[in-house]
Amino acid sequence: MTDRGKRTTNSLIVAWTAAIIVFIYLPAVCGLLASLTGSRYFLFPIQKWSLVWWGKTFASLEIRSLLDTSITIALIVTTVSVVIAFFGALAFARYNWRGRKLYQRLVLLPIFFPQSVLGLALLLWFNTLGMELSWKTAVLAHLVWITPVVTLVISIQVYSFDPALEEAAEDLGANRWQVLREVTLPVLWPGIFSGALFAFLLSWGNFPLSLFTTGADSTVPEYLYAKMVAGYTPGVPVMGTVSTIGAAILLLGGYGLISLVRRRRGH
Amino acid sequence: MVSGRPPILRLRGVTKHFGELAAVDRIDLDITEGEFFTIVGPSGSGKSTLLRMLAGMEKPTSGDILLKDQRINDLPANQRPTCMVFQSLALFPHRSVGQNIEFSLKIRGMDPALRRKRALELMTQLRLPLAYYDKSVTRCSGGERQRVALARALAYDPQILFFDEPLSAIDYKLRKTLEKELKDIHRETGKTFVYITHSLEEAMVMSDRIGVMRAGRLVQVGTPNEIYTTPRDKFVSEFMGEVNVIDVTAGATGRVSAGGLGAEFTAPPAPAGFSRGHLVIRPEFMRFLGSPSEADNHLTGTLYNEYALGSRIQYQVRVGDLVFIIERLRQQALAARLDDRVLFGWDAKDSILVAE
Amino acid sequence: MTGAAPEAASVTRGLSVLGRLLSPGPRNASPLLLLLAIGFVAPLVAIVSFSFGEPRSFDVFQAPTLANYRTIIEETFYQSFLWSLSFAALTVVFLAIICYPVAYGLVRVFGRWSNLITLFFVLPLFISENVRLYGWILFFIKGGVLLGGIKALFGVDMESVLFTPPMIVFGMIYVYLPFMLFPMTLGLSMVPTDVTEAASDLGASRWQVFREVELPLAMPGITIGAMLTFVLGIGAITEAKVLGGQSIIVITHDIEIAFTYSQNWPLGAALSVLLMLVVGVLVLAVLSRFDLDRILRRR
Repeated sequence: MTDRGKRTTNSLIVAWTAAIIVFIYLPAVCGLLASLTGSRYFLFPIQKWSLVWWGKTFASLEIRSLLDTSITIALIVTTVSVVIAFFGALAFARYNWRGRKLYQRLVLLPIFFPQSVLGLALLLWFNTLGMELSWKTAVLAHLVWITPVVTLVISIQVYSFDPALEEAAEDLGANRWQVLREVTLPVLWPGIFSGALFAFLLSWGNFPLSLFTTGADSTVPEYLYAKMVAGYTPGVPVMGTVSTIGAAILLLGGYGLISLVRRRRGH
Repeated sequence: MVSGRPPILRLRGVTKHFGELAAVDRIDLDITEGEFFTIVGPSGSGKSTLLRMLAGMEKPTSGDILLKDQRINDLPANQRPTCMVFQSLALFPHRSVGQNIEFSLKIRGMDPALRRKRALELMTQLRLPLAYYDKSVTRCSGGERQRVALARALAYDPQILFFDEPLSAIDYKLRKTLEKELKDIHRETGKTFVYITHSLEEAMVMSDRIGVMRAGRLVQVGTPNEIYTTPRDKFVSEFMGEVNVIDVTAGATGRVSAGGLGAEFTAPPAPAGFSRGHLVIRPEFMRFLGSPSEADNHLTGTLYNEYALGSRIQYQVRVGDLVFIIERLRQQALAARLDDRVLFGWDAKDSILVAE
Repeated sequence: MTGAAPEAASVTRGLSVLGRLLSPGPRNASPLLLLLAIGFVAPLVAIVSFSFGEPRSFDVFQAPTLANYRTIIEETFYQSFLWSLSFAALTVVFLAIICYPVAYGLVRVFGRWSNLITLFFVLPLFISENVRLYGWILFFIKGGVLLGGIKALFGVDMESVLFTPPMIVFGMIYVYLPFMLFPMTLGLSMVPTDVTEAASDLGASRWQVFREVELPLAMPGITIGAMLTFVLGIGAITEAKVLGGQSIIVITHDIEIAFTYSQNWPLGAALSVLLMLVVGVLVLAVLSRFDLDRILRRR
């Protein structure tokens, strides 16, 4: 391929990708615009620019309680899923055992499963067990879907883990706990951190599972959906923009942190 | 040489099965305290498995491993007074040089100030700049990493050090330097070193004794000189590199008959009960002749190929189906051209007779 | 406090005995397997048993009946299923074409920037779909960004394109883009540059290199991306509800209605079983063709 031909193709690819990125973030921009209106309804172009709805949202007690619920669920889900997924990832990627191929497929299955159907199935299951639906049952629902994802993320890090490191530590005199604490966990830390980040963000933003399993409690996405269907206020795009920016900060911050650690380790 | 001291490590019928396959097959071996013993073999010969059993990372299927007359088969790696230097070095990437070296001491609860002192001692002994104490190991060069790995292994003063082909992934020049340094460290510390490699050349540089392994069995054990001059069989003799091998049968005293070449050769004294085997002549002992009387044995062939190998030139001469290799120094390049007929030969004392 | 201690000690002792009995693989897998057993397998088993229950009842311990399955075939439910399949298939086709250049860019063109650009594509995954799709409502609705802008600039009053079936596909393309993009990128990264250069060097045109070398070698990634998108697309519900304005009822929506408004759990369960079968067969068929270790190890 000629050099000029290659350059044209490359610029086309860059242009195409830029267009797709615009396409992806256009709704977020619209959301931001809709949050900055002074009136109760959204009409473009905006006549009266104002931050009044931002103020109202942050002052709202209802929003505070929703944030509380969402964050509590997310924190619990993150902690539990990371612990379970850590061991699950070792079984996924490190050790060779007889059921491993079957185990890998089983772990991936919930990720491919339609979430709304999973949510409804859990609703049915919880009812059969006679459990009352609340944010606690939502935690379990999130765990079922999110833990396999975190397992996958940590597994990717485990695949590049040199088992000789553990053997060396043992050879130098460390017992099993010391090996785990001094070698395995620190070396796998970037993968674990990414997994925790994923877990938090996926739980925070989850809608289908929360919808069916929170019962009387409500998370932020559920509230937003209800308001979208009936009772729209510009508070909805406010929360939407807050979610987007919050997720962006966490993601970029997490990525920056991991790059730093990777560079210090000489990768 | 360290003969005369008691064996520190004894192997009796050590075997390891993986399913049907015997990766290590009834090894009997005594390793003397303080010696530099190298196990040499091609890939798949079982040397890695054997080493791992000695270090405690695998358990033998049968047989006994005795450390100073104490059976250690069931003793896990972290309780053995031995230490291994891995092929990948297995340096902890998240720790500095000093932290890597001190690891075994930290595990045993040694005081931080004492640890640091010991680490700096080792760094001096291994010629690592003291300023490297806080340096991340991933920033160190290949040679420096080797030294850190060695320092780490020496830190808690183990009785035996095991080496799993640590120099195999390094370029030639650095390897030569490190081989010499390892030999010096061995002499300075006086510890027993058990080393494995696939390169007989490397083993010859460093070892007091060598064990040649093939398909799980120890084929020959001896000093480097013994292995080189009196290889027990064709495999061992070929292990050093390219040699000339002629299939022969016993003839009159001091003579052997090469049926394939339709000739008889003067040979060194045959081993007891020798009837069939191989006559082995190293390329550096073959030479081109002006007339048949210049050597004990001679052959005529066609000059087939010529290779420049640094300080030497290698000539390949075809005689019927066989190809003979002759090496000369570069300054003594031959005047003959390819496809010329050449006369070459060797003296009986420079050849080795091995049984089938 | 003192009463709890000996009990806890015996539990931990029991667990450590169990732990020592199992080899490291199964031992590490057991917490996750336990979670999946009670949180994934059990509900699905419950669904299957409910699907054989009396229609409209909540009692599953009666004589099993196929009434629900018959309802699916006799009434129009199979239609919503076909709609779901078609939407998912269309989404896969469009996304394959849209994502390929981007995936190619990420692997071959963007160099140092690839990681950062990937981050831009990853971020949307962490924002709930309804928030993202609502942005499109704000864009396309009457008086919204697009139509309001056109009216202000050109004085033209246009009809909103929202709440129609094509909008559902549009929404699905939007939501599932990352799920096609990332496996595709992974697949393309498995095509070594020297192989494509060799093909070029041997005289192949750009199109031929693509057809003979790139596409076949990237196939595992592309297939996984297509399967992931398709399977998730079948399970899509928010696009049809929010962007489609319920002009089309998709299968997942039907399931939801059966479970909530109609209070007909057995029917909902039967519909779910149908969906699960299609999804399960597809996923297992594609996954068993690939060695996951080899694909995931290439980082």
